[in-house]
Formats: sequence, structure tokens, C-alpha cells
Amino acid sequence: MLMKKRGVLLVENIIFIVLNIVFLTILILFLFKQGSGAVVLEQSYAKNIALLIDSAKPIMEIHLNMEQAIKVAKKNNVEPDEIIKIRDNEVIVKLSEKGGYSYSFFNNVDATAYPKDEFYVFIINEKENE
Amino acid sequence: MKKKMNKSKSKISIYPNRRCHLNKKGAEQILAVYWFLILILIAGGIFAMVYVFYHGSYDVRDVEANIMINKLADCLSEGGYLREEFFNITNETFLLNKNNFLEMCHLNFNVEEKWEDEEQYYVEINIYNFGEINKPIFEISEGNKNWEGFCELQDDKEYEKLVKCVRKRFYSLDEEKNQYLIEVLSIIRKTEKNVK
Repeated sequence: MLMKKRGVLLVENIIFIVLNIVFLTILILFLFKQGSGAVVLEQSYAKNIALLIDSAKPIMEIHLNMEQAIKVAKKNNVEPDEIIKIRDNEVIVKLSEKGGYSYSFFNNVDATAYPKDEFYVFIINEKENE
Repeated sequence: MKKKMNKSKSKISIYPNRRCHLNKKGAEQILAVYWFLILILIAGGIFAMVYVFYHGSYDVRDVEANIMINKLADCLSEGGYLREEFFNITNETFLLNKNNFLEMCHLNFNVEEKWEDEEQYYVEINIYNFGEINKPIFEISEGNKNWEGFCELQDDKEYEKLVKCVRKRFYSLDEEKNQYLIEVLSIIRKTEKNVK
């Protein structure tokens, strides 16, 4: 009788602990997924790059580690060389097929960007018409 | 009589124990329900907080305004001396004007299409003779002057996010070692992309 009673208690406790672990796992996965989502990263990278270009001076070469962005882009079928586009004085970061985020910079320079392994290289030159 | 007493004692001693056992099990089940309710509430709270945090915008205007001031400082002064191409020491005149300011300081105030009709930047430079900070000897501004008025409202919580204003001062010399105080005001709006 006692043995049976203890057995029931053990099963209840195990179920309770397992449910708690499941709950915590879902919560942690949700947090990680939100933090590395394409929308969040697009905004973060676009603003970072715009500020980098703003503070850069002509004849500079900047290497930016974009491993995380390239991983997300590949998962969303976006080629690495399509991630960053610089048009006029606007940086556009695209990590998903339908997404994209743009942010403008005020530094009047000629900026170009291309991928190199897990890095992106930014070349800052003076504008030709000056 | 003794037997009866014993019987009644045994009854009393058994029932409370049994009731206690049942109550404990029932209470545990009720507590488990409450426990999961609390977990759901906590999860809901965390989901809501994370959603608000990650779906908000990063406000980088403060950094942007500071970078602009640094850029303007580099444009006006080099190594602590006013740049010769902007300041004519013989006539004591400044060669910067509204027409060449953006070009000479390598600035481009064009912004995204959504703001095409409304400039999102404003910069103002005042240069004073050292010791005479009431009247500037040279002043120049560029961008949307409307934003200047919002700087004073920044102390008000309701308007603090409208624009970001950063004002900085630094000193510079000319070739004859005359001292100047240079005050730069930089304002960035871009509210829609930085505040949610």
C-alpha cells in the first residue's frame, strides 16, 4: 500500500518537473528566436552601417562581421551579395525575401559594400563630382 | 464502557487523519492548477515584454547627432586651428556660406523617400571671439529650422522623443593665436524610424 502511494507521488512529481522544463524551454527558444529574427537584425545592421559610414572618412576600408546576418539570410533564401545595398546616401539591409530596412546617412561620400566570407567590406571614397 | 470509549477514541483518531489526507491531496491538485496559472501569467508577461522590446525601434539619433558634431568640428578646425580655407586671417572673414557649407563639410541632407518633403536635419554653427560670447562673429545654419523650437520641449516627457538635439562647444585658434569659441547645434528628427 505504501509502495503504491509513493509510486503515484513520484509520477506526479516527474510530470510536474517535465512540464516545467518544457515550459522553460519554449520560453528560452522564443527569446532566442525573437533576438535573432530577420526584422530585428535588419534594423540593427542598417542603423549600425549608416552610423559607420557617417563616422568614416574617405579612403577607408571597413570590415564588418556579419556572420549572424548571413546565416539568417541564407535560411531565408537571400544571397550574401544581396544583403546590403547602398543607394545614394541610403543603406538597405535585406535578410528575408519580403523584408528590407533602410536608413540614411549624412556623410557625403561614395560608399560601396561587398561580402567577403562572413564579413562585409565597406569602401569609403570621396564623391567623384567633388 | 471502556470498550465504548476505545471505539469512540479510535473513531476520532481515524477520521481527522483521513480527512487530512484527502484535503492535502485536493489542495495539491488545486495548487497545481494555480501553479500553472501563474506560469501562464508569467509566460504572457515575458512574451509581451519581449514583443514590445524587439518590435520597438533602436533610437540612434543621439549617436548620429554626436557624429555630426564631430564631423563639423573636423570641418572647421584641424589640430586646434581654424582651417585656412574657411577663415581668412587678413580680412578676419569666414569663407563659409549657405551655398558652399554642405559641400565643403561633406554633408548630404537627403533622406529616405518618405521624408522627401521635409528635411530631417538641422545644424547651426556660431563662432564667438573668446570672452565675448554674447554676439557671434560668424553664424551659419542649414537644414530645417523648425526643429530648433522642439529642443526646448525636450525636458517635457511628452515631446522628448520628437527630435534629438545635441549642443557642444569647443575652442580653436587662428594663426595669430587668437582664441575662438565654436558652438555647434545638431538636430536629428527621423522620429518614425527611431521611436515606436
